[in-house]
Amino acid sequence: MTSTTITTPDRSSPPALGPERPVAWPKRTVLTLANGLQVVLAEARTFPKISAQLFFRSGNASVAYRSPGLAELTATVARTGTTNRPLRRIEEDLRRMGGDLGASAGADISAIGISGVADFSEGLLEMLADLARNASFPEEEFERERRQRIEGLKIQRTTPDFLATERLRRTLFGEHPYAIVAPMPEQVAAFRREQLEEFYRQNYSPANALLILVGDFSAAAILDQVEKIFGAWKAPAPAPQKWPEPPHQAGRQVHLVHLPGSVQTQVLIGNLAITRRDPDWYRMVLANSIYGGAFHSRLVMNIREQKGYTYSPRSGINALREYGYFTVHAAVRNEVTAATLTEMFYEMDRMRSLPVTDQELESARNYLTGVFSLGVATQDGVLSQLSTVFLDRLPEDYLETYRARIKALTADDILAAARRHFDSANEQIVLVGDRAQIADQATLFGPVTEYDPQGNRV
Amino acid sequence: MKKLHIPVEHTKLANGLRVVAAPDHSAPVVTVGVYYQIGFRLEPRGRSGFAHLFEHMMFQGSENAGKMEHIRLINASGGLLNGTTHYDITNYFEAVPSNALERVLWLEADRMRALKVDNENLRNQRDVVKEEVRVNVMNQPYGGFPWLDLPPVAFRNWPNAHNFYGDFQDLDAATLADVKDFFRTYYSPNNAVLLMLGDLDPAEAFGLAKKYFEDIPSHALPPPADVSEPPQKEERRGEVEEKFGTLPALAIGYTVPPRGSKDWYAMTILDRVLHGGRAGRIYRELVFEKQIAIETDGSLDVFDANGPTQMVTRIFYRPELTSDATVAAYDAVIREVQEKEISEDELAPVKVKFRADYYSMLEGGMGSYMPRFGLMHYLACFTLFDGDPDRINTVLDGFMAVSPAEVQAAAKKYLVPTNRAVLARRPVDHGESR
Repeated sequence: MTSTTITTPDRSSPPALGPERPVAWPKRTVLTLANGLQVVLAEARTFPKISAQLFFRSGNASVAYRSPGLAELTATVARTGTTNRPLRRIEEDLRRMGGDLGASAGADISAIGISGVADFSEGLLEMLADLARNASFPEEEFERERRQRIEGLKIQRTTPDFLATERLRRTLFGEHPYAIVAPMPEQVAAFRREQLEEFYRQNYSPANALLILVGDFSAAAILDQVEKIFGAWKAPAPAPQKWPEPPHQAGRQVHLVHLPGSVQTQVLIGNLAITRRDPDWYRMVLANSIYGGAFHSRLVMNIREQKGYTYSPRSGINALREYGYFTVHAAVRNEVTAATLTEMFYEMDRMRSLPVTDQELESARNYLTGVFSLGVATQDGVLSQLSTVFLDRLPEDYLETYRARIKALTADDILAAARRHFDSANEQIVLVGDRAQIADQATLFGPVTEYDPQGNRV
Repeated sequence: MKKLHIPVEHTKLANGLRVVAAPDHSAPVVTVGVYYQIGFRLEPRGRSGFAHLFEHMMFQGSENAGKMEHIRLINASGGLLNGTTHYDITNYFEAVPSNALERVLWLEADRMRALKVDNENLRNQRDVVKEEVRVNVMNQPYGGFPWLDLPPVAFRNWPNAHNFYGDFQDLDAATLADVKDFFRTYYSPNNAVLLMLGDLDPAEAFGLAKKYFEDIPSHALPPPADVSEPPQKEERRGEVEEKFGTLPALAIGYTVPPRGSKDWYAMTILDRVLHGGRAGRIYRELVFEKQIAIETDGSLDVFDANGPTQMVTRIFYRPELTSDATVAAYDAVIREVQEKEISEDELAPVKVKFRADYYSMLEGGMGSYMPRFGLMHYLACFTLFDGDPDRINTVLDGFMAVSPAEVQAAAKKYLVPTNRAVLARRPVDHGESR
């Protein structure tokens, strides 16, 4: 009798990970020009293109009291004409260099970004400098952009996640300018061209700026171009500003934004937390990741994979320059609005009560360090990490030490961070949806204040 | 401009699975994709939305990786993952540190070999998908505009013309038997391509592919379905109510000539002349010059459609204007490109931008969080639809060779009323309360 051996590979368990390969972040050239412009260069030579971001450390917060949204409109109009180039020429020059251009402003910064074919690096940088120094704010383009912005704001005001964020920021930040995420259409309608010019003159200055360049170039050669193109630019930095502190929250409160006809409820809860410069930052990042910051997190498992309440629940830490805040959000069917909040709080309180398991800890550490390193593979990934480091003035070895810092954290660290920064007892709860469908569920979680989509109390 | 050459190697396993590797050691990261040649065009009748619902089911468990294990293992290896459903393909992909390559292949092979799901998983994902439709379509201004609104107006053959996200009653009607049938019919190795990109050695990667995938049995695929459209003899028009948004909007679509044909190259370049961002003729005329539109954009699925598809323009216009006046302004732009040959001065930069965009897409794509997403996506499309992954390095030649006369000829031949559909999205009047 003969026997044949058939070998079937064992497929019952996943193969172990191979040895970790080192991640080498590109070497940075960091310097400050005589005019105060901070410059960061990093070579990334796999694809024949370059990306540049010119940041100014002044955004919408700096004008929130007198003209909310002025920084944003200034950035938008600044790209529509300079003393050297009318609008059409800007767009055509860009296309000739295979370029893309973006100009925008957030709470803390205004930014002009340009990218394109590496052969045209000099032309692209010249255009960037032209937009940063010589914007002419043509009257006709100002009128047109303002009208477009007004219509955009009206549409934004029908979007549930915008309405939720707007209400939460109002609640968490009170008198601090971070309270305002967007102007009302009438406020933009009242802007005058001269206000944009004034904001531009005061804030678009080299001493207030950071230029980051990533791409297919040699750092030495591109540095010559940068000095030639940006070196002669002179303007003083704006004076620093001081803002009131955000309010202290006492107890959970519900803020219901009535959006008639909603077939879903946008749930957003949040509390003030920490910035990237806080010693607790890494602990908080890990705690957030296990709670609701990743696909395999507890919150996603619970309300998506077990209960099917929602498609994309997530939690996150939103780090602005002066303050950070922690949020949890999900868009859910109306009937399970209260049930969703119950689970969000349950998982939050569990994070505050018990240490995470060893498996969760290890998975989350690997997840964060691995995903962090994926950024090294693209120019945009490198640029985005460098922006974080230099805008938030983090230690220069941040990229190289991130892995080790995350890997050193323990279950006790996470428990401590959750207790300090998941402020379960004082969460502010925003619900955007149809009042008739959700008002009785809302009252289960605290006193309810109701608003219309324009932000008025009703 | 420097020409990029992507090193590509490919092979085919005994069971028909095509395997493509593109090594790139610039970062210790690999991107892996498995693309099946089935999308929402060919989902069963009475089961609209099924291809997408099925995609969700592929994350619900397989023989050796139970529910959520797939996701947990990828995340715990330091990686990201997702899946998406298109007209003619459904893809599953991961970006991970390169020490996790073998683990990713194990997971993908496990679910290609033996999906293992139950009724509870199906009920759960049906609920999740309904919330996805609500959050992306039913509860958003301009939700589904125009990717869900326009095809039913433009096309007559059900595969091209139905609701791809799915009517809720069809989603409710889906059974576990449907899931198993769909898996058996389309998720066979000979209907798929495996892509491995990044920090890897192709020979080693092929060895791993063989180890995990080669003994997955394959079977005969159904004969190709007829997705052709009957000849169009009239302009087609439709209207959809806009529940939230405040501006009236139009989507105008022209059906594109067959993939890979000479006209297809010309039409793609014509698309960039017309759209192509703020330098494009439509944006320039409608937003900058005539100021009829508040916003406009346009697109053409160049590489990832393998059947009837359209070049589409979206126009959000000033509320005091009529749709007729807006269409008339748009038509003036179309007439100009038909009547007057485009200059080399205009065409040359369009081509530079086309190449630059192609390279950017290869590097990142998908919002850039997934390295080499575009490279993976295009390699898959070239393999499945054209049988030739090396087109990644040659396809640009066809676009660069398009002449001004060919652009004009394409405009005359394809930008005609009997080849187009116009969809209006009209805001409902909410009175003073909004």
